[in-house]
Amino acid sequence: MTIAETGSAATRLRRRFALRGYIPLVPPITFLMIFFAVPIGMMIGISFQDSKTLAFSLGSYERVFTDDLILAGIFRTMLMSGLVAICVTVMAYPVAYFLARSTSRWRTVVFALAIAPELAGVVLRTYGWLIILEDRGFINDALIWLGVISSPLPLAKNLFGVVVGLTHVVLPFGILALLTSIQGIDPNIEKAAQILGASRASVIRHILLPLSIPGIVSSLLISFTMAASAYATPALLGGARFKVLATMIYEQIMFYINWPLAAVMAIVMLVMMLAISFAGARIETRLHKKLNV
Amino acid sequence: MNRFLAGLFWLSLCLILAFITLPLLVVVAASVSPSSTVTFAPGDWTLTWYSAVWTAKWLDPFVLSLKIAVIVSLASGVLGALGAYAVAYEKCPGSDAIMSFLLSPLAVPQIVKGVAIVLFLSSAGFYVFLGTSGLIAAHIVLTLPFAARMIATSIHNFDKNLDRAAQILGASKWQRMWHILFPLIKPGVFSGMTFAFIISFNNIPLSVFLVRPGQTTLPITVINYMEYSLDPVLAAVNVASLIFILATIFLFEKFGGFSAQIHGGSK
Repeated sequence: MTIAETGSAATRLRRRFALRGYIPLVPPITFLMIFFAVPIGMMIGISFQDSKTLAFSLGSYERVFTDDLILAGIFRTMLMSGLVAICVTVMAYPVAYFLARSTSRWRTVVFALAIAPELAGVVLRTYGWLIILEDRGFINDALIWLGVISSPLPLAKNLFGVVVGLTHVVLPFGILALLTSIQGIDPNIEKAAQILGASRASVIRHILLPLSIPGIVSSLLISFTMAASAYATPALLGGARFKVLATMIYEQIMFYINWPLAAVMAIVMLVMMLAISFAGARIETRLHKKLNV
Repeated sequence: MNRFLAGLFWLSLCLILAFITLPLLVVVAASVSPSSTVTFAPGDWTLTWYSAVWTAKWLDPFVLSLKIAVIVSLASGVLGALGAYAVAYEKCPGSDAIMSFLLSPLAVPQIVKGVAIVLFLSSAGFYVFLGTSGLIAAHIVLTLPFAARMIATSIHNFDKNLDRAAQILGASKWQRMWHILFPLIKPGVFSGMTFAFIISFNNIPLSVFLVRPGQTTLPITVINYMEYSLDPVLAAVNVASLIFILATIFLFEKFGGFSAQIHGGSK
């Protein structure tokens, strides 16, 4: 046996040993290939088909960007998600600040209250909001009984209802995003400013808010993407009168059975989400750089 | 001024917490309220609605959801552990890229995953998978990344010296895996599985594309019913399923020390 042969045998052995490390990956990777990567690829393929002849066509893309109903749906989705992002961030901030700074025993209670709704699932919470907001719901019942209004206010099945419901669904995630950011701010900076005579308002304005901008940005981004891709809440609280991208995609698949159009709309949503997370990641790194210097 | 701001802060905190708890309280109240339209009548209460829950109409979907959630939880535990083991323990070359592939379903909205999977299953000769098996596969795509990430984190935090010590003392690879690695990462595996269970049990955006008539999961049955009526049976169903989820978390916690993982993770 020559030296060269033993050498190549050793490399082969080493290679075989190295490959053995990949064996556990076979089941999860195969699974994701079959049920995730291939379906996404197929969806992209179908998006280029004509809905009737199945020949290559850009018709569905053209339709998404020219059809007024679809464009209005995309616009509604953006408006709704933007409002949800703002509401969530504004409401999450005080809770996150309390959780980050408080040492009282109420902290655990508040934390549990803030996170617990997540376990209840979207259905229960949406049902709750429906019976609060609908025409014969608690709020309208109470207002009519008090004589404030004579006919019910339109609180559900419109933008208002959907934004309220989604804010509730997304709020825990906004709280967690802001909590990590505020926990990273040294409380001594606030104390120092106070000792030097800064009022509470100027501490908030000049110290707390600027330093928590990364948290605010990530809360806005998480809320926006979660709201824009939500299905159940807009479907139930918006109904047929307030259609967003997600519910329109569902209609195309289940009622109109227009696969290419549904595929294009899904791709529009996917690209929107990827663009936002990409932009968000870039903004975040830039902010972190700026704050560290 | 300072006192005014502090007052404003506490007031807003209370209002926000009220906002968070309000729908939950309303549902619980509605589930025990005697009137058949959902109104609030303090003092009077009944469990009639809960007895209506105990009928095939609600039990069948519940059993289906439970079956799916159990299989999804086990499968994502196993698949996630295999992936996390190769990436975080063996650290095979290219493990970063492999991990990003395992996590990639997270970047895709559920609705988009649902469309892709339903189109794939109905056009690629995978017809047999439509229905319950399709639901299970779709849910695993959703939960596998969470399980893989949680398990990878706990393998990452695992003290490799314990493993080396066992190796020096002559333990075989399987012995080390079973007696050293697994007991130490068990909380991670269990929390990943609990997470997968809850996500699958509550899922709507994927299930909505894949359920077949007569074979619907609990959340889908509830939302379909909700489009026609808001009667208090729904409140009872919702509260019962919440109680079920809490009981499951409690069980998993007893088994695998779920909160040990959370506390361990925060240090």
